[in-house]
Amino acid sequence: MLRIVKTIALHGTLPLALLLFWQIGSTHFWWNAYILPPPADVAHTLIQLAASGQLTRHVAVSVLRVALGFFIAAGLALPLGILLGLSRPAGAFCRIALEFFRNVPPLALLPMLILWFGIGETSKLVIVILATFFPIFLNTLAAIARPNCALLELGRVFGLSRLAAFWHLRLPMAIPSIYTGLRIGLGYSWRSLIGAEMIAAAAGLGWLILDGEEMARPDVVLSGIFTIGALGLAADALLRLLGRRCRRFTGGE
Amino acid sequence: MNIAICHLSQNYRLPDGSRIQALNDLNLKLQHNSFHVLVGKSGCGKTTLLRLLAGLETPKHGSIEGLQPAQRRGIMFQTPRLLPWLTVWDNICFWRHGCGGSEEKARQYLKAFGLERFKNAYPQQLSGGLAQRTALARTLASEPELLLLDEPFAALDYFTRRELQDELMQIFAAEPRTILFVTHDITEAARLGQMIHVMADGHILRSLANTAPYPRPALANRLALEQQIIALL
Repeated sequence: MLRIVKTIALHGTLPLALLLFWQIGSTHFWWNAYILPPPADVAHTLIQLAASGQLTRHVAVSVLRVALGFFIAAGLALPLGILLGLSRPAGAFCRIALEFFRNVPPLALLPMLILWFGIGETSKLVIVILATFFPIFLNTLAAIARPNCALLELGRVFGLSRLAAFWHLRLPMAIPSIYTGLRIGLGYSWRSLIGAEMIAAAAGLGWLILDGEEMARPDVVLSGIFTIGALGLAADALLRLLGRRCRRFTGGE
Repeated sequence: MNIAICHLSQNYRLPDGSRIQALNDLNLKLQHNSFHVLVGKSGCGKTTLLRLLAGLETPKHGSIEGLQPAQRRGIMFQTPRLLPWLTVWDNICFWRHGCGGSEEKARQYLKAFGLERFKNAYPQQLSGGLAQRTALARTLASEPELLLLDEPFAALDYFTRRELQDELMQIFAAEPRTILFVTHDITEAARLGQMIHVMADGHILRSLANTAPYPRPALANRLALEQQIIALL
């Protein structure tokens, strides 16, 4: 019981203090209500948006885009990272091209993507895939290409086949790094999607924020921001649950 | 079958391009089912010889006769090299993924090394002595005909080392097999070995015999033998 109270106190104090500061500042008119509307107004707008079903629609659109993009990116990045990590020549063959695209922010490609794929779902999906692919791919590649040689030698000591050595030694060794890649990738996919939605979209949280800006409704903008933050927290909590299972893959000799 | 190592030489290239001679025309006979100890200062080529016998390296010059490629060899290192994502039991049963071993033996060594309580523990939760026992059990469960041990007890405290020496001698007495045990600890060499091969500069200086029966007490007087080894080095 005491531990639960302690945990809540530790995690909740800072957000609560920020909220309190916001409220006090609003009631004492430290700033204009247009610059930063009071928390109650934002909460009211948030509830209104939720009640009208608008918020759910935008969240559903954005989450679906992120989920689809994330899974496609992971589905491409994991096997490719493993393949290039295992084969030195293949890695060298692709290195410069990959380095080139890694350094181009996906949003910079948006004009070309709209030209090629139109303004519909495809261009946004491609943005998410491009942003998510590299952290997953590079973390997988690095972990597979640089295994712990002392542990890998066990494969030869115990006479493992190449496939068995990959499956029972190389892949498990790479799990913590792959997990890190997935976690970073998920963060990247959110950011890039919101960016893409703010440039060209008809729905989604990025569009909601942009619409709020154009309608001079800072409360709508803030509602969108809060929703994004909350969804990010939820996604990270989910991944952390998965991370608990990955923890035992790390450890020294 | 006896193993005969003839004119074995091995060298490595250092990063600066120069070469280092790890083994230099080494000749050694390992009688079947006897306990051999290789003793020498660090850098004298002990580990290289062990790795060649384990098949982890191929010799550049010379030959190793009497060792079939299919013959089961087990090697254990100074660090336990346990897999952190597997439990103690799954580590001991790692042979399942390779050339084979025996579940019965795995269970037997789990018990013999007092690891039953830690069966489902992960390596990070083990003390150094328990981790090294797990590594030894893992090596033995693969039923090696040739057991290669590379300073396996060097990182352990005095009491744990003594216990593990006792356990190793018991296992050897119960199920004799060819053992090559590498150490730089002269007391350990004199206590464990039936044949003690003193090594320096990549070759064997002399082989000394210790015919005392197993199990050998830890504090017996082996001063003469130890002095002989020290004199050679």
